[in-house]
Amino acid sequence: MTTTTIKTRPTDLSRVRTWLPEYGVYLAIALLIAYNIVFTPYFLTVSNLRIQLIQVAPIVIVALGMALVIGTEGIDLSVGSVMALAAALIPLYLGYGVVAAILASLVAGLAVGLINGLLVARVGLQPIVATLALFVGGRGLAVVVSDGKLKDIRNPGMLYLGSGDLFGLPVLVWIAAALVLVVAFVVRRTVFGRRLLAVGGNRPAAELAGLPVKRVLITVYVTCAVLASIAGLLSVARIQSSDASAVGLLIELSAITAVVVGGTPLTGGKVKVVGTVAGAILMQLVIATMIKHDLGPSTAEMAQAVIILVAVYVARERTTR
Amino acid sequence: MALLEVVDVSKTFPGVKALDGVSFTLQPGEVHALVGENGAGKSTLIKVLTGVYQPDRGEIHYQGQPRSFAAPMDAQRAGISTIYQEVNLIPLMSVAQNLFLGREPRNAVGMIDRGRMEREAREILAEYGVTADVRRRLGTLPLGAQQMVALARAVMIDARVVIMDEPTSSLEPREVQTLFSVIRRLHGQGIGIVYVSHRMDELYEICESVTILRDGRLVHTGRLADLERIELVSLMLGREMSEVRRQGFTEFGGDHETPEGAGPVLRVDGLTSRTKLHDVTFDVRPGEVVGLGGLLGAGRSETIKAIGGAYPLDGGTVEVDGVSLKRPTTERAVKAGIAVQPEDRKAEGIVAGLSVRDNIALAVLSKTSRFGIVSDARIDEIVQRYMSRLRIKASGPDQRVGDLSGGNQQKVLLARLLATGPKVLLLDEPTRGIDVGAKAEVQSLIEELAAEGLGVVLVSSDAEELVEGSDRVVVLRDGAVVGHLTGDRVTTEDLMASIAAAAPESPA
Amino acid sequence: MNVRSNRSRAAVLLGTVLFAAMSGACAKSEEPASTAGAGSAPAATQAVQSAAPGAATCTLDQFGGTKVDLKTAKVGFSQSEKEANPFRIAETQSIQDEAAKLGITNLTTTNANSQFNKQISDVEQMIDSGVQLLVIAPLNSDGWDSVFAKASAKKIPIVTIDRKINATACKDYLTFIGSDFAEQGKRAADEMAKALGNKGEVAILLGAPGNNVTTLRTSGFKDQIAKIAPDIKVTFEQTGNFSREEGQKVAEQLLQSNPNINGIYGENDEMALGAVTALKGAGKKAGDVKIVSIDGTKGAVQGIVDGWINAVIESNPRFGPLAFETATKFFAGEPVGQDIIISDRAYDASNAKTDLNSAY
Repeated sequence: MTTTTIKTRPTDLSRVRTWLPEYGVYLAIALLIAYNIVFTPYFLTVSNLRIQLIQVAPIVIVALGMALVIGTEGIDLSVGSVMALAAALIPLYLGYGVVAAILASLVAGLAVGLINGLLVARVGLQPIVATLALFVGGRGLAVVVSDGKLKDIRNPGMLYLGSGDLFGLPVLVWIAAALVLVVAFVVRRTVFGRRLLAVGGNRPAAELAGLPVKRVLITVYVTCAVLASIAGLLSVARIQSSDASAVGLLIELSAITAVVVGGTPLTGGKVKVVGTVAGAILMQLVIATMIKHDLGPSTAEMAQAVIILVAVYVARERTTR
Repeated sequence: MALLEVVDVSKTFPGVKALDGVSFTLQPGEVHALVGENGAGKSTLIKVLTGVYQPDRGEIHYQGQPRSFAAPMDAQRAGISTIYQEVNLIPLMSVAQNLFLGREPRNAVGMIDRGRMEREAREILAEYGVTADVRRRLGTLPLGAQQMVALARAVMIDARVVIMDEPTSSLEPREVQTLFSVIRRLHGQGIGIVYVSHRMDELYEICESVTILRDGRLVHTGRLADLERIELVSLMLGREMSEVRRQGFTEFGGDHETPEGAGPVLRVDGLTSRTKLHDVTFDVRPGEVVGLGGLLGAGRSETIKAIGGAYPLDGGTVEVDGVSLKRPTTERAVKAGIAVQPEDRKAEGIVAGLSVRDNIALAVLSKTSRFGIVSDARIDEIVQRYMSRLRIKASGPDQRVGDLSGGNQQKVLLARLLATGPKVLLLDEPTRGIDVGAKAEVQSLIEELAAEGLGVVLVSSDAEELVEGSDRVVVLRDGAVVGHLTGDRVTTEDLMASIAAAAPESPA
Repeated sequence: MNVRSNRSRAAVLLGTVLFAAMSGACAKSEEPASTAGAGSAPAATQAVQSAAPGAATCTLDQFGGTKVDLKTAKVGFSQSEKEANPFRIAETQSIQDEAAKLGITNLTTTNANSQFNKQISDVEQMIDSGVQLLVIAPLNSDGWDSVFAKASAKKIPIVTIDRKINATACKDYLTFIGSDFAEQGKRAADEMAKALGNKGEVAILLGAPGNNVTTLRTSGFKDQIAKIAPDIKVTFEQTGNFSREEGQKVAEQLLQSNPNINGIYGENDEMALGAVTALKGAGKKAGDVKIVSIDGTKGAVQGIVDGWINAVIESNPRFGPLAFETATKFFAGEPVGQDIIISDRAYDASNAKTDLNSAY
């Protein structure tokens, strides 16, 4: 009797240890949903699903880019500022039409990504330092560009992006879902995706193998910033106003949290796209649960902190195994 | 009475016996050379002496008493200090502060007495030939001076034993002489010094006795003056192992056929890089294995990397098949047909977190893709081909490379190189750290590849392997070509003679 | 090497230039800016609430300063927060406009961008440069001792506006001009009770936590509701951090899981406007959920006109006229109040359309 328990326990534990970082986030989501079904009125409704998906969409889009950057052992702090810049440019260019406004904000993302990428890949700055520059400067620039004023958006095309429906789901959610599929495809099936993982997993090895390491890094930072600018313009469309001082504030933290909770290690070499989406959904559900049960914001923050700690701890278990 | 004595010490790490019954004795006032190639067990022995590692077996006697050091602090308090290659001080603090860190002189009210500290620092450092302002930040001093400060600090802590791990590797010749005069003075004070270096000339100038380790075992200990240079080198490199190897250890056969009249597939001309490489020139013809000989730090790995575009060059050209690589980068080098197997497999070779498949396909992704989208069918074909040709033992192409044995990791790395269809293969210690079976397989693979017409450059610290595997050997010392062995002269004896030959006047 | 770093430097420069170009010449907005206009519209000047008899006053003699002619005087204004919300924009604008109107040519304006240390050094620099009157919109209520020491040494009168400083009036500073935030909450409660017919469930969109504006507007509202309409239940209090986006997010969540909510009290207009967007998204019609908020920005008053918002209690940011009027009276030797509480107006369906232009 005793011998059998002693024998099985370690294997069970080690199985849990490999399982938890991979699937822990899904377990947590399932538990939270179960709790809400029982205790939250009107939780299991289409309207609730819509709201949660709409609210999480911009974070998911930013987190996708962040996951790619973290996959190269980097980090991008400037995503919130990119969102602000994109948001600030929308009202300026809306006079030319929706397409022009969207293009303007995407170009802003491209430019920021290019600067970040060049600073990291060519100048050789640490990603946290390189992106800190635009984290600080980007939002300042956005506030200057927008004259520091909140501007209402009334262009119907823009508003459709933020609140319109397509086949019964919000346009916003379709866009986010499409981007998830594209990024997942890029990571799994493209040359760029595989190179990205190699660069993140072992940069000197990737370099010696003749991979275009710098080009990969620059592309990653550009992709991340362009995704952030998409999130920025969608936020504007959803709030129906552009406020450069508020759009995307602190989103870099939400995005990093989603990525880490989703099982992507900060040490690079691995990108979990579906996990990142799940991470964002988990954090969204936590906030929703707190609001629906009228708990204070500090409670929500503490709950988020606990989740992050657990996620990081679980990931640590894996590396020391 | 011996100052420090290690008796029959063993230390095993998972998979490696780093020290196997090693004994070592240091007398007071003795300068004792500790030599051996990489993996011989020098650093493990030093770490046992300084309390970083606990030996599995054996005893340490210090000043006649059996002692065991639980932590580096213990050893330091007992009077055993270590000076490492890289200085372990705080670059942003002043020289004086560094010197007195943790033992600052206090004044009557318990405050640090800066005046006294600086005065004493000046006096102490003068004895070490350091005349710089002691209020300067340590980091602004030349490396040699920093090392002197570290040494002065070590001796100040009432050291009885000072261990110096390659102290001269970053020093100018003049600074080396200052260091030696300090060592002589310490010697006069009865302090025992363990001196680790690969530079023959230095060893013979400053050391009285020598202990040679190889593969974790003690191979020789005694007076250095009684040992000829060539004997020292042969003991380090394992000449006497040759009998064992002859019975089938290396898989290398005889010379290779080179197509008549074929030009060199690789031509290296005048590679120069600051202090590390000086005008390295040689060429390799198709089907030929050219060995790069020399001791640790002679510039072999740097040469290999420079050819592969991964080491900064100040001058020199690399030509593949008569086409010059303009401004070599790794990307251009791989495209031109150069494949580099780096010395440090884990740090620069494999991507441990990725699968066998992804590792093998890494360098040929664009070849196996269309419009940027990879074709798994084409990749699998390549992966299958090389997994079976190199007999890679893995649970399947999806297994993480980090979970494979060293030998199989090396084979995965070679598979990646071969998949690029290279013309020249640069192998830096291809058989280090892998088991005997895999070693033989890798060796016969090199044979095969050469027979297929590839040009191969081989670096190996194993003299037997180098000599038997190579058709010619280019011998390097201090980053320069000092010898060229061809034909009948490709023997271990000639190799060692060439390595051991006294250096000409050290380059200015 | 050099070539390479030059190239990347050039690229970074290019990026910067690109931004400048994009934000500059070729931009074209959706429509002529309509949200600004604090300057041109017939602005509603602040009115002083009738002071209680015997309220403390302050005169030039008591304070111990010297007579100054405002027209030629050096005047400093220190703004606390970034001018990213209509209140701050209108506040600064009002000071500048009034100074221009009075012919004060020597006005220095600083903005601390929500950094308290910067505000302190801003003010100290202005003192050093020899200003004779200071108008301060303080970021914090405490930590002003060093400024007071410097100012009182030179006998410079300080008028604090919109937030009060914890210190002695007529000694450390001259006077405080501002709104009564609890009173604003109380009036919002009256409007809410009226809109709901004294019955229903109300959710509060709280301002930034730990801010005394939030605290007072909450307590004023809740106390008054308990007093006049005990059948109204405050069922939710969630922070929207004074931001439109967060107000919208929180309102979306609340409305979804609590269809019974029929009133939303926004502690500023921005959050209320976010709630309006949330209501539209949830398929509600104007008037389904009653909304009352505080501030009186143009967007919110327009919301009343459109029928989405029931009432807006004004928190008037146009301190310019009152601040300079007080200073003029003070320098002329007349007594001025130590605590000048302004009376805020209210907008509802009856006056929103006509008064839209006086909103900021």
